[in-house]
Amino acid sequence: MKKIFALLSALMIFSMILSACAPQTVVQTVVVTEVVTQEVVVEGTPQVKEVVKTVVVEATPEPKKPQLIIFNWWTAPGEREAADAMYEAFKAKYPDVEIIENPTPGGGGVNQRVVLQARMTAGLPPDTFQTLGGAELKAYVDAGQLEPLDDLWAQLDYANKIPGPLAKAVTVDGHPYVVPLNMHIQNILYYNKALFDELQLTPPTNYDELVATCEAIKAAKPDLACIGLGSKEKWGDAFVFDAVFMEEAGPADYVKFYKGELDPATFEPFKRSLEKFQALAPYINTDHAGLTWDQATALLPGGTAAMTLMGTWAIGALEKGGGWKAGMDFGAVTFPQKPERILLFHPDTYGLAKGAPNPETTLKWLEVVASPELQIPTDVIQGGLFARTDIDPTEFPDPIRQELMQYVRDNPDKLILDQHGSIAPSSFTSEYWNVIASFLVQPDVNATIQQVASLFQQFNVKDASAWYQWP
Amino acid sequence: MQFPHPYRILKIINKRFRSPSQWLALTSIQGRQVSAITSPVVRGRKRRRDQLTLAEFLVFVVPLLIFVVILYGTLIWTFYVSLANWSGIAANYEFAGFKWYQSLFNNIRFWVDVQNNLKWLILGVIPTVFLAIFLAYLLELAPFPAIESYIRTLILYPVAMSFIVTGTIWSWMYEPKRGVFNTILSALGVQSQLTYTTNPSTATYWLILIFIWQYLGFAVIIVQSSFRTSELQEMIEAATVDGASKLRILFSIIIPNIRSGLLVLVSLLLISTLKVFDIVYIVTFGGPGISTDVLSLYMFIATFQQHLVSMGAALGVIIFLIAFIIVIPYTIYALRRWFE
Repeated sequence: MKKIFALLSALMIFSMILSACAPQTVVQTVVVTEVVTQEVVVEGTPQVKEVVKTVVVEATPEPKKPQLIIFNWWTAPGEREAADAMYEAFKAKYPDVEIIENPTPGGGGVNQRVVLQARMTAGLPPDTFQTLGGAELKAYVDAGQLEPLDDLWAQLDYANKIPGPLAKAVTVDGHPYVVPLNMHIQNILYYNKALFDELQLTPPTNYDELVATCEAIKAAKPDLACIGLGSKEKWGDAFVFDAVFMEEAGPADYVKFYKGELDPATFEPFKRSLEKFQALAPYINTDHAGLTWDQATALLPGGTAAMTLMGTWAIGALEKGGGWKAGMDFGAVTFPQKPERILLFHPDTYGLAKGAPNPETTLKWLEVVASPELQIPTDVIQGGLFARTDIDPTEFPDPIRQELMQYVRDNPDKLILDQHGSIAPSSFTSEYWNVIASFLVQPDVNATIQQVASLFQQFNVKDASAWYQWP
Repeated sequence: MQFPHPYRILKIINKRFRSPSQWLALTSIQGRQVSAITSPVVRGRKRRRDQLTLAEFLVFVVPLLIFVVILYGTLIWTFYVSLANWSGIAANYEFAGFKWYQSLFNNIRFWVDVQNNLKWLILGVIPTVFLAIFLAYLLELAPFPAIESYIRTLILYPVAMSFIVTGTIWSWMYEPKRGVFNTILSALGVQSQLTYTTNPSTATYWLILIFIWQYLGFAVIIVQSSFRTSELQEMIEAATVDGASKLRILFSIIIPNIRSGLLVLVSLLLISTLKVFDIVYIVTFGGPGISTDVLSLYMFIATFQQHLVSMGAALGVIIFLIAFIIVIPYTIYALRRWFE
């Protein structure tokens, strides 16, 4: 028994020594004892006397450095630089704020959600965190984890600085909850320019032209996949399907469908879209189920696919990853352009967490997020469009985004929420991706319609998406 | 301060719950150890054998309590959450009964997952065990004595790698167009039609192959160690003298006599296949479609992607029940045989 106690006390002493050895950064109150020689005159005779004098030097407590605790998932190459550009813009205005960042690797935010959800449930929210608009934002609002930002928006007049559909995508029950800093467009068809020139093809603008283009490519180059697709993460299939469905249904019914207001069993365009989507299968690379979106995008510079349907973030992947130049080696058109040219979008946003430890600093941060000083460098690097429409589109280095930004400025009402910051709740969307992905590999139109119909019911999409208003 | 002696606690358990405590083959061993460490005479003062000092309590009982609370506490908590109505980011403990179980049983995906998990349990274990026996015997016969130890190291290597690494490598090798398998086949003049993990009807089997490859070395080592009993060696020697063939020795002598080793191996493999997650997550993410999805991956997606926390908890409970019904009784049985 003695031995155990001896061991325990030895351990304790050891740990004390260790902690004592640690560098002391805390400024402490110091007691200085000094011996001062003083001349004291006692009754006329000068005498030297030693006096012990104790001086207490009290350290003034250092003012607490303002902090900003921020959660984001921009950690991949290209995104990391964008995050740094964001902080640089903030530091330029508020140099003394210390930014504490908790980056979580893994795109799309699934890993970030794991950590964030755990911290929120434990009552340890950060000041601000990255979130998409739409259903994802709604989930945080429903959980009471975001503060409404009506005052900030009024002060910045932000509702008039950004496109109307973008403002609506971050407004729940009349209150804006976050500040969007960009817009990603989902439905863009990238194509190999050299190949299109060689075969004298023009980029397709609707489904029939797409099929015709693919036929022409297949005839000339049988080994080349017409459409490069990566469906490992499942949403890749939904992107292609959405493009087909948008043309069949038209924008108004597209929104109604994802709001759960239409019955998939009786809504004919849905069935037709499934059939048309299935007809595209022979033009798609056979190994799509094993590829992520960036691997699928790399098929273009790799010379194994002619086109791919991907969001604005693919521009960076093609330029940095593939060494291609926008407008020179690859072109891009939004798809479909008929009957209407609609851009499916989602924003990246930041809000003020309920119970944030540093609310004042966070409001300063959000003000900067809304400013062109932050949006220009960040968005140019990261790959989306500017949230603000008053920024000059020529700030973008590539002609693709210049054209898209100009289109958004001229037609701000042509934006609809996409698969990521979706209209329907994420419980539905995640399963829906699976159904569409399964359909592509094992096509069964009627069973798929039934499954989708039961998903709408199971997750009560009609009530859950009622908040979304479009146009 | 006096507490009941742990040995006494075990005795009480033994008396009251005789049969369950017999399940725990380790109980008696533990009991013996405890009584050996704490002699009844401490500090020269005679003390009752069934009493405990504070220090003894801290050393023996507190870790046990922490273990019990963390393991079984969270288990009960998970079951409780699975009966709640927690869908969304904020916790919601409103009682919802078996609603989430019901919606799972009505879900096609759930039954695909159960099927896949059963495939893993059967096809992940049986081929591994048989291959391990053959390989171990081959090593035992030592056809190349000079490089035998190198071969052994080589076989054991895959176990040292994480599934994330092997999964990534294998997913590259499986690529139908650029992967190494089809490239080699086409170099040999065979136009391979194999699509590996991109074909929904066979993808799971290719994933199980990765598992077998990874666990084989580990299985070989366990089987080989069970060859090393002196009785078995004597029997093999006697059979060799009698002129029995190598195959005859394997089937008639070795396999019947390494049962305890095989039991442990099978139970470890059962546990590993049941909790499979990483291979599926890395190589196919449940795809194509949902054809390679397993319960653990569904649990992850339901909880963190769909925010259906209660449904995720329900899946957790179901995985636990499967383990409880299939794996745990088998493991206990096997461990008891091992210690006999």
